[in-house]
Amino acid sequence: MLTSRGGPSRLKRALREAPQVSPFLVLGDPTPELSVALAKAAVACGAGMLEIGFPYGDPVADGPAIQKADVRALENGTSTTKAMEILGRIHDACPKTPLNLLVYANLVHARGFDRFCEEVVEAGASSLLVPDVCLEESAPLKKACRRARLGHVQLVGPLTSSDRLKRIDAAATSFVYLVAHQGVTGVRGAGFDEVEALVARTAWQLNNPLCVGFGLSKPEQIRRVFAAGARLAVVGSYLANVIDENARGDRLLAAFSEALGPLVTAGQ
Amino acid sequence: MATTLVPKIGPFGEYGGRYVPELLVPALEQLERARKEIVTSREFKLALSELLGEWAGRPTPLLTTPAFSEACGLDVVMKREDLLHGGAHKTNNVAGQALMAKFMGKRRVIAETGAGQHGAATAMAAARLGLDAVIYMGEKDMERQASNVKRMELCGARVVPVTSGARTLKDAINDALRDWTQNLETTHYLLGTVCGPHPFPRLVRDFQAIIGREAISQWRKLKGGLPDAVVACVGGGSNAIGIFHAFVPKKRVQLIGLEPGGLGLESGQHGATLVAGSTGLLHGARTSVLQDDEGQILEPHSVSAGLDYPGVGPEHAYLRDAGRARYLAINDDEALDAFETFSRLEGIIPAFEPAHALAFLLKAVRDDELPARSRVLMNLCGRGDKDLDNYYAHYAQRKLGASE
Repeated sequence: MLTSRGGPSRLKRALREAPQVSPFLVLGDPTPELSVALAKAAVACGAGMLEIGFPYGDPVADGPAIQKADVRALENGTSTTKAMEILGRIHDACPKTPLNLLVYANLVHARGFDRFCEEVVEAGASSLLVPDVCLEESAPLKKACRRARLGHVQLVGPLTSSDRLKRIDAAATSFVYLVAHQGVTGVRGAGFDEVEALVARTAWQLNNPLCVGFGLSKPEQIRRVFAAGARLAVVGSYLANVIDENARGDRLLAAFSEALGPLVTAGQ
Repeated sequence: MATTLVPKIGPFGEYGGRYVPELLVPALEQLERARKEIVTSREFKLALSELLGEWAGRPTPLLTTPAFSEACGLDVVMKREDLLHGGAHKTNNVAGQALMAKFMGKRRVIAETGAGQHGAATAMAAARLGLDAVIYMGEKDMERQASNVKRMELCGARVVPVTSGARTLKDAINDALRDWTQNLETTHYLLGTVCGPHPFPRLVRDFQAIIGREAISQWRKLKGGLPDAVVACVGGGSNAIGIFHAFVPKKRVQLIGLEPGGLGLESGQHGATLVAGSTGLLHGARTSVLQDDEGQILEPHSVSAGLDYPGVGPEHAYLRDAGRARYLAINDDEALDAFETFSRLEGIIPAFEPAHALAFLLKAVRDDELPARSRVLMNLCGRGDKDLDNYYAHYAQRKLGASE
């Protein structure tokens, strides 16, 4: 039997103790070596989880910043096979940090659901979110995750009905991921009162821990979503922009830590 | 046993389904309700039939083609969708969906476009029905199809250049899906072909099925009985499904779809998804796609921008596997030759897309694909005005190549 090196339960335990902040990183962005270094820098900043994307050419749930990150990774040759290897290196560098994967469905489908799940568990992943598989089509994915002992994360959105929210909560095994804005990933400024209310409304209906993502970039936002009941906050596009601006310079790791550090601190 | 993937929502056998982010689900559920409640209502049917009759020019005629038939060794009759308002079959679908959007209380429609035909048709229907239209079009396609961009703008639509990926149709669909995710309360995504998540493949098919329904009764009056074969080009597959659908239960009528073979299948530069692709998930459906062995979607190639798509409607993949329809690839050069031949023989300039079907008919008897004198119904799905600049660019190159 396969053993899960990251383990879905480790994250749940950590989230019970304290809310955690996670960066979103694309494997191979801006280079394979630097994506491992960024993961280490994030853990050094205090990140309690790493959300890790496999680069994909058609990321329909993502806005411009993450699309660019995918392009950078694909252009330097980060195939799925290469991404598995980088994932393993990140796990070796940060063995105690749960790794949640974000992988578009066709990459999982092309490898076969079972094989994909087994390989990522072997490389150290603890859970998997496939953003373009909705609840009704999720049974095969859930089954493959269960067989590989990989946590299964489901998305919900601002317009998800409470009946549907309950069914998604029952299907998820790691946490439920709330997309805080009706839209694609990207940094957003105004309108945070609505997000806060949405987080509060969603969190109390769930058995699983609630993760909030899409559009977070400020310490104040992290404090507010945690106060409203979220146990996990993922910061993606904001950091992808920092990586984009510094991809070629020698300030990449410093700039990344300067951006992530205050967000992690705000969550503590 | 290995975990297998069978779509649950609106499947066509092992194809179709709803592979989308959770955020789009409320919009798709609303659309499914509209498909069942609005589209079947008497009021809607009446309004659509008026729009199609007065504004779009239905029914379109059947045309016998004595000279072209002679050249093929077949008896070929054309369904003249090229005479539909807008110049292609696309108008059937946009009239239906734009009207539906209006019945649903949406003020804004968005659409993707490759060749610009669907974008232009959407812009026209939106203008007629008083809706705002935003059209996503790959930057590369905007250069290739400049006159269609002008048609859209003239009808009041805003054309948004898509700069991601290869800057063609696939990327325009990605951006339209992103826009829809953000604006689904005010906006209807007017998808142009029989692809996408459920219910789009059925919704679009049902609006295009008028082509085959009309053709069956027109054929009976003109020729008697049924044709031996029904032939159409396939990009996303809406014109082909449109003419096939009424014939699917007529088991002795062969259904043949022609895909863009581009520079030849062996070159890898083609868009022949059903002939040379593999099963994958693209734009919300499980279907036949062009992809590498890790599931990255490949960039298709065709001289015809309207067939330049790395996926295909899931119902076609189903008809292929069920053995009910067969699909072949036609290269760019064959399509261009047929474009010239048909224009000279019949005085009708076809679009590059149906030129693929014409090219098949010109060689079908010789290649033993059809018996001589077979009675064939072909969907002449669009007119070629939009392709003239492109044709003359290729023509000059071809003549240059021939003289070397």
